Order: sequence, then structure tokens, then C-alpha cells
Amino acid sequence: MVMRKLQLPLSQTQKVRFERAIERLQSLSSSANSDASVIVTDSIPVNHDDAFLKGHGTSEVDGELLATVCGVVERVDKLVYVRTLRARYKPEVGDIVVGRVIEVAQKRWRVELNFNQDGVLMLSSMNMPDGIQRRRTSVDELNMRNIFVEHDVVCAEVRNFQHDGSLQLQARSQKYGKLEKGQLLKVDPYLVKRSKHHFHYVESLGIDLIIGCNGFIWVGEHVEVRDPMAIDDQKDEEMISSSSTGKEQSHIPLETRQTICRIGNAIRVLSNLGFTVTLEVIMETVNLSNSKNIDIHDMLGSEFHVVVAENEAERRRTKRKK
Amino acid sequence: MAAKPGAATPTYSPKIVGRSRLPIFKDSDLDWSRPDGRGFHQCRPALLQTGAVSSASGSAYAEFGNTKVIVSVFGPRESKKAMVYSDVGRLNCNVSYTNFASPTLGQGTDHKEYSSMLHKALEGVIMMETFPKTTVDVFALVLESGGSDLSVLISCASLALADAGIMMYDLITAVSVSCIGKSLMIDPVTEEEGCEDGSFMMTCMPSRYEITQLTITGEWTTPNINEAMQLCLDASSKLGEIMRDCLKQSASASDE
Repeated sequence: MVMRKLQLPLSQTQKVRFERAIERLQSLSSSANSDASVIVTDSIPVNHDDAFLKGHGTSEVDGELLATVCGVVERVDKLVYVRTLRARYKPEVGDIVVGRVIEVAQKRWRVELNFNQDGVLMLSSMNMPDGIQRRRTSVDELNMRNIFVEHDVVCAEVRNFQHDGSLQLQARSQKYGKLEKGQLLKVDPYLVKRSKHHFHYVESLGIDLIIGCNGFIWVGEHVEVRDPMAIDDQKDEEMISSSSTGKEQSHIPLETRQTICRIGNAIRVLSNLGFTVTLEVIMETVNLSNSKNIDIHDMLGSEFHVVVAENEAERRRTKRKK
Repeated sequence: MAAKPGAATPTYSPKIVGRSRLPIFKDSDLDWSRPDGRGFHQCRPALLQTGAVSSASGSAYAEFGNTKVIVSVFGPRESKKAMVYSDVGRLNCNVSYTNFASPTLGQGTDHKEYSSMLHKALEGVIMMETFPKTTVDVFALVLESGGSDLSVLISCASLALADAGIMMYDLITAVSVSCIGKSLMIDPVTEEEGCEDGSFMMTCMPSRYEITQLTITGEWTTPNINEAMQLCLDASSKLGEIMRDCLKQSASASDE
């Protein structure tokens, strides 16, 4: 629910309202895991008669199962493990991730993903700018910096794990690749739940929203995905040349920039409060800020945090009734 | 310059300076009183808080009397290229002082000795094999030095590691004792450390009742060492409870 105590100066009335909202949220939340939070060396109750499997964050000492991390005890059939809340991202094959290029190496880019090790995006796992499927040559290797350079924000998919635990990425579709004209936000990975759709296009606002499983969220201007294979070579060349010349000139309209900032601040507020980040909740927070006529810079203030907490409690209550 | 014949060659004779006791310590061992009015076997009031640094993987702030420290943990993250492959993780500790930490330092300094001692205390408690090829960085900053800095740093670092979700065998608590004359003083302040005959610091895992580090300096008798060890173990178990309560509060707040 709330990851940490709200690090904001609250007035007495705000404090009372906030605490009341939190109490309502706690009463609505499932009581299945109410006693499940453990800290280091806490004993985890298990039935020793039944066979059980020791999972992550547990160790057996003198026949007793102890927690080795702070978190919540989870049970899946016979497996008992502790899910840490403040831990780094635990990747799974097929996850959509957003990351930042930190190094251009030999035939690969190294990407920072909020994981223990940097992700590796191979040149061969990348769609070429011309869209033609072919072997990567030494010329392509020399032109790697034309695709991504250091500090570029990229979107990719987790391909597999190497034997040493490092992560291999792929960007073989038009929806993956370099992300421009937007904001990169970082939230705790546990706030992002895996779902079918991580790419969202908010049509009413003309905004692209990519919620990475690793807790990196991209909010940017909508970009039309165009398949270069469907375009003639000449048209393709014209498009590439025009885009390269117009890169400096193109600017985002003020309204779009304000919308990006508003969505960004909505995500920051949800992250501060420790609420799960989904498109539905984000848009509800954005609409709430619009309906209350709250300025973009005021969204990070104490009052809006309290309002969002109250709104979330109300939303969950109505959802429960349905 | 040649010396005059017959004159004695001038030699350097060091001035013997007896270590002066502070005014608070009277000549009689029985009449001593501590600068902050505590009993000899009484620790300073402790304030512990996790999640102090939002950008870090885990962090903690500790305040023991006038000693204020903040510890940030980053990682586990990929080890630098220069390092050879390792199937166990690495721990990197760095202790530094702010330039306003104490009036004597005058400028912010890195404490290499404290860094290595912090490393020694923590490496026994972290499950290094759970993060191969990676490094956990522990950055400790002393905001105000009020005595027993290292013991506060170690306890605070343990709390920060737990907050970061690093797998550990147990929490770590560190307590220091000063020997002045015949008296043992737990959790000494700067004034007491300045005129101590010996210092004793013990780092242990309170739940497992295991010691990860023991540092003794100065003049100690065997009975004094035994008494100091018992004092430290008692204080460690109490401090361990405070640390567990601190973690429980942050864990219960995050329980959905």
C-alpha cells in the first residue's frame, strides 16, 4: 500500500485525511497477507510434516525456516519464498523493458535496466534502420552509433538469460527501439504488474505510454509506427533524409509537453504513495488533477497526494461493490 | 656549525606530557560522572529510520545522541570490467566525514581504516554467493561526530542493507565500550574517547548470538574484557530489537 511514510509536510487536517484514507485502503485490502510481512531472521511458519521447497529469501537453521530478507511471505503450492519490496527488478523472458544505453561495445549495446547486471542488446537482435533482414557486416558495426549512442533511452524485450546470469535483449519489431521526445520516470519495480499490454496509446491526449516491467516508465509524444518494408526504396530514402534534416527543427507543441509533464507527475505521485502503476490509475489521477484545476507543478504538493489517496480508497471501494 | 669545544652537544629531549583527564573526571574513580549525565552502563537514546535516500537501493539514518550518520546502499550492480570473474559477490565500503562533522577535522575526509573495518564487519553477514559477478556499494557519511562513530556506522549500514533487500544471515549490531581507570563506559562520547585507557568494540548478530568483529585497543585485563563483552552482548540484543522494530514499521507500511 504505502511504501514509506509520506516525506511531505502535511498540515494537521491533511494528516487526519491521509490517515483516514490509508485506514480505508487497509480495510479494503485482502487480509490473506496481513501477517505475512517478515524481516531478517523472522521465523516462517511451515508444516514440517508436508514437504516444502525453500525459495528465495529463506534459509533453514536448526530445522527452522528463517527469512533472510525483509518482505512478504508468498506460498505457491509447496514453494515458500519471501518477496522483497525494495529489491531490484527480477526479469522474466518476454518482459517489455525500458532502459538507458550506457555503453556501445563490440557488436552490442549495454543497457541499464535496474537489474543486478546490465542488459546486452546485440546488433544482430536489432532491426536495421533500412528494415532489410540481412547479415550484419563490419560496416553495420561501424555505424552502430547512428542507431544508439550513450544515454539514449531504448525499449526492448527480454530474450533470454546467458549462463552467467546476464540478460540478453531483442528489439526485432517496429514497436521497439529508440525513444525520443518524452520523459523517463523511475518507480519501484514491484509497483508494475506484468500484463498483456505494456504499450499504451492515449488517443485523447496523443501520448505514448510504455510501462516497463523493470520500473522504468516512458511518457512521450505519439509516434506512428511505420513499416519500412511496405515503402518503396526511394520513398524510404526520402523519408530518412527528411527525418534526419528535420530532427533539429521538429519541436513538441506546448500543450503536448504540458500533458507529458502532467502524466509524469501523476506517476510520481502514485509512486510516492506506493500504489500500483497501471494505465487506468494513471489516467484517473490525470483526470482528477484536471477536474480539480491543479497546476502541473502543484501536483507534487501535499494536498494532491492526500486527494489521490482518498480517490484511490473510493475507487477500490466502488470496485469491491461491483 | 661547529660546536664549542668542551660544550655538551645539545640533544632533543621530548617533553613528557601526561594525558590530562577532563574536568568531569575527578581523581577518585568512584566520583566520575559522564558528560551527558548517563550511567556508566547506559547507552545514548537512538533514533533509526530507513528509506532516507530515495535514489539508493536502500538507505538508513541513525542518530545516537550527537552522533548522526547516513548510509546508502547501491546495488547489487555489475562489477567493473577491471575486476576478474567471481562466483560470489563483492562488497565495497566507503566511510567519509562531512567537513562540519567535528571541529577538529576541519574538512571532509575519507576514513580508509573505518572503511576496511566496516567491510570486515559486514562481509560475514551478507550472503555473497547470492549475487555473483556483482558488487554492493555501501556509502556511509558521518554528518556529526559525537563519539562511537564506527559502531553507529556498522549498525546503520546493517539497517540500510536490510532495506535494500540484500540477503543476510542476520542483522548486525555494534556496541563500543571505553575503559577509563577501573570503570567501563558503554557507548562513549567524544570527550570520553579522548581520554580512554582502552577501547573495545564488538559487532555481533543478535539473533544468532555470533560475533562478526571484535576490536580491542589499549590496556585491558581479562576480567575487564569479560565484563565488556557481556555489556556489549546485552546492549546488542536491545539495539537489535530497536532495529527490528524500525524495519517492522517500514515493512507493515508496505504490506498491501
